[in-house]
Amino acid sequence: MTETVIQTSNLFMPTILIPLLPLLGFIINGLFGKKLGHASGWIATTMLLASFACSLFLFFNLPAGGSETVVLSNWFYFKDIFIPFAFLIDPLTITMLLVVTGIGSLIHLYSIGYMHDDEGFSRFFTYLNLFVFFMLILVMGNNYLMMFIGWEGVGLCSYLLIGFWFKNQAYNDAAKKAFIMNRIGDLGFLVGMFMMLFHFKTLNYDQVAIGALNLGIGNITIVGITLALFIGAMGKSAQLPLYTWLPDAMAGPTPVSALIHAATMVTAGIYMIARSNILYSLAPHTLDVILIVGTATSIFAAIIGLLQNDIKKVLAYSTVSQLGLMFAALGMGAFESGMFHVVTHAFFKALLFLGAGSVIHALSGEQDMRRMGGLGKYIKITFATFLIGTVAISGIPPFAGFFSKDEILATAFEHNKIIWGLLSFSSMLTAFYMFRLLYLTFSTSFRGTDEVKHHIHESPIVMTLPLMILAVCSIVVGFIGLPPVLSHTHSFKTYLSSVFAQSKTIMPAGHEMSHSMEWILIGTAVGLALVSIAFAYNKYVMQKQTPVEDEQLSGLSKVVANKFYIDEIYNAVFVKPVMLLSDLFLVIIDKLIIDLLVHAVAFITSQVGRLLRLFQSGHVGFYMFAMVIGMIVLLVAQVFDVLGFFESLYTHK
Amino acid sequence: MNTLIYTACLGLFGLLAEIFNLRKYLIPILVLGLAVIFSLNLQTWNNPQTHFNGMLSDSNFSTAFSGLALFIMLIILILSGDFYTSTDDEKHISDYMAILMFTLCGALMMFSFSNMAMLFLGIETLSISLYVMAGSRRFEVKSNEAGFKYFLMGSFASAFLLFGIALVFGVTGTFSIDGIGNYMRMHADKLDPLFIVGMLLMIFAMLFKVSAAPFHFWAPDVYEGAPSLITALMSTLVKIAAFAAFYRLLSTCFVFALGKAEIVLTVSCAATLLVGNLVALVQDNFKRLLAYSGISHAGYMLLAIISLQGRTDSALFLYSVGYAVASLAAFAIAITVFKATGTESISGFNGLAKKNPLLAASLTMAMLSLAGIPPFAGFFGKYFIFSEAFRNGWQNMVFVAIISSIIGVFYYMKVIVAMYSKPANEFEIKPTFAYQMVIAVCLIISIVLGLYPGVFTKLL
Repeated sequence: MTETVIQTSNLFMPTILIPLLPLLGFIINGLFGKKLGHASGWIATTMLLASFACSLFLFFNLPAGGSETVVLSNWFYFKDIFIPFAFLIDPLTITMLLVVTGIGSLIHLYSIGYMHDDEGFSRFFTYLNLFVFFMLILVMGNNYLMMFIGWEGVGLCSYLLIGFWFKNQAYNDAAKKAFIMNRIGDLGFLVGMFMMLFHFKTLNYDQVAIGALNLGIGNITIVGITLALFIGAMGKSAQLPLYTWLPDAMAGPTPVSALIHAATMVTAGIYMIARSNILYSLAPHTLDVILIVGTATSIFAAIIGLLQNDIKKVLAYSTVSQLGLMFAALGMGAFESGMFHVVTHAFFKALLFLGAGSVIHALSGEQDMRRMGGLGKYIKITFATFLIGTVAISGIPPFAGFFSKDEILATAFEHNKIIWGLLSFSSMLTAFYMFRLLYLTFSTSFRGTDEVKHHIHESPIVMTLPLMILAVCSIVVGFIGLPPVLSHTHSFKTYLSSVFAQSKTIMPAGHEMSHSMEWILIGTAVGLALVSIAFAYNKYVMQKQTPVEDEQLSGLSKVVANKFYIDEIYNAVFVKPVMLLSDLFLVIIDKLIIDLLVHAVAFITSQVGRLLRLFQSGHVGFYMFAMVIGMIVLLVAQVFDVLGFFESLYTHK
Repeated sequence: MNTLIYTACLGLFGLLAEIFNLRKYLIPILVLGLAVIFSLNLQTWNNPQTHFNGMLSDSNFSTAFSGLALFIMLIILILSGDFYTSTDDEKHISDYMAILMFTLCGALMMFSFSNMAMLFLGIETLSISLYVMAGSRRFEVKSNEAGFKYFLMGSFASAFLLFGIALVFGVTGTFSIDGIGNYMRMHADKLDPLFIVGMLLMIFAMLFKVSAAPFHFWAPDVYEGAPSLITALMSTLVKIAAFAAFYRLLSTCFVFALGKAEIVLTVSCAATLLVGNLVALVQDNFKRLLAYSGISHAGYMLLAIISLQGRTDSALFLYSVGYAVASLAAFAIAITVFKATGTESISGFNGLAKKNPLLAASLTMAMLSLAGIPPFAGFFGKYFIFSEAFRNGWQNMVFVAIISSIIGVFYYMKVIVAMYSKPANEFEIKPTFAYQMVIAVCLIISIVLGLYPGVFTKLL
């Protein structure tokens, strides 16, 4: 049990400032938000920008391959278990910090415009800052308990923000669904933590890793822990079978979808597994499970995405699908590739969501793509940036998505050809439904009402500026991870290498792929994407098809459009029986037994009170009489000590 | 000892003020004087001394409790400025103030007595002053009744105290607590029955003073009838003084004979807890409610007395501070509400949250502290007393205490529910500046102690 003393280094201040600033913003906005009005948005954004600056400072000042632990306090001891409240700063953390604070700042800025006329303006920024605070705790902690605090905190904020417009009951239901689904995952996380405490007596990342290394590869304990943690990741990162909450989470304001349900919070599961990479590389069976779940989710969500007509729902399923891709990468032991896709995805998915928000803003709240079309002419900046985002996610070089996706596909090809086939298929579907979305929204002519058409307008600069910045990033950010055929140095991989060094020794990497093979793979992937795009172009631009109304659907497409009826199945299998059981308990146990018992106890207690009150007659004579009687009784009982009954009252030894 | 003399001087000054027509400046001067005495009192810390041929002795115990008593009296004086406003009151204000100072003198004697004569003197000084103050609303029947009842029963109990002292003196031949303690140490295995009976009679008298069952009957009637400010004084300063004296008496004189009083103390403690909490359930009058709540608190403090062999004085002190500040805040609010609504019933608090949310929140905090809910001082006071008792082997008593504190939560909640969920009545309720300050100071102390209970845990 090592007790770390508080150390001071030049990284100390920026490190603690990073989470503290959003917390400060939360407190200021929470207490004075109403009075501050629109200033609260600027305060929140400034706090986050300052936090971003601190993250940049860390990025430039942390020695290459180094890591630093900043201990704030020795949080608690319990027998031989010791938990510090400490931050771990290493390349992995800094990567997440830059993503969270950087993209977070842009989305905050965007929200100032997007939420401008909302009556809950300051409340929105209060929640948003609180979210960022918890997200930072999640990625900065040096032990699983701190991760769990952040984990629960972001869950809470997600709940609050999904149900932000709480006057709409459907939104509240969506918020509850997200919360409950996450609880199922959290239970897994908790079980994992308890197992770690039981076996390793610690929750610190480094000490857990040491303990796990002592147990060796394939140890059943490690498999148990990793599986339990993965269940937590499944909930937070919306994997099969716990993914259904994420599409519903689109009930929240669009910036929330961009920040929480696309760029940051949902990648917490990926971060957790990357952070526990040593544990996972010691448990090959768990990695297989992750690979299968990830691949299945990727395809499943992509298929559902094909037939969605709500612009945000398409993006939501696309997010689930992309998360599946990341998990598949983790499952193959390619932790850097998974993290790389987290980073690139964060940029273009945030861009896409914010672009969708801009569209919705322009159309006065319309989200159904069947009522859109031809918007490219009216909102040019949104269109241009959205196009960049779509190209990026579809995997067309040289945009960001191409590099990270290509890396995962190349790894899959080496690992298992079937997985490669499935993931390529999923990428193809992605390209198709994303361009379907693009064409339906921006091409051909407008299909909505004239009144809506009359109001179409480009968003203000606070909204378009983040779009433009994100668009530029979506173009260039891929260059930090060039494939071997183009460059010998993969900057991102090199940057993270110290974090994953140990698991690389446990899991020997496959042989280097030949350059020609790599070219073939790239060609295939790009070719498939181009084919899907052409297909979508033909269908939605040349033939000007629009998706049919819900009632006219039939056959398989009806099943897909209804998301394979998964929600209905869950309802019938889990929700209904639980409700039934709960009704049963309500009537029999609660109403009949507990209530009766409680009421009886309360009734008897107050009756005794009433009875005793009668002694309080107000007559001094009686009082004195009672005193004397009491005195005599006590005196006799004491002096003669005959009342053995009282022996049981006091067991004084 | 200096504390006592200076306080007595302040009392005399109060009497003289009448002659020199200084009524207007009386309260500020007294407040200032008490503040000075409060700081002088701190000088006796870690400086034990004996005075007047062993009649009084300073110790950290007496310094701590004297400090608390001075603080309480300071608060009461600040509150009394806006309390005694009628013309009749103004005529007698200097008398009242002088009597209050003498009450404090009595309490100070009870903290530092080392001779039975001083104990009796202290208790009587305290009590006689209070008989007068309880009946100080001359034209109110209830006040008269309270004063007279208190006097009758109080003197009855004093007789027992005297009789007990006499018997103990008869056996030991000394009034000095050290002398009695020595006698008891030497004869611990074979104590004279007369000695035991004398001790028990003294314990009965003390149980009366702390309003423990079955000697509690006076408390609700007197508390209800006395002027509210005096009720506040009785339920804080007087109760704490009685407990401190009780603790001092038992821990110095009778510590080896406690086994012979076990039944009396445990039965009385359990009965006090149950009677206090159960009868409080059915009260509608706020002052009566606080009276019964005070009785139940006496039960918890008795728990500290029972387990005093484990040195529970720190726990008792922490409890006293927490109880005092919460009660004073509650009374300050209650007096404001009584004045505005003209009723002492709980219904007077209906809908307070809508009219004055801050005041309602303050009373909620005071009630929660009294109920023993964290993060207020009341919680830790209770917690330490319970854990000390548990450690000393009184598990069953702790069990009874926990059950009764569960019952207790109900009636504290009753007030909170009235404030927050009943429709408001039309009165305008706003405490004066002095009251606001008192409420704020008391609640801040309560919260600070609740967050950092370590300040007092190992103090004594």
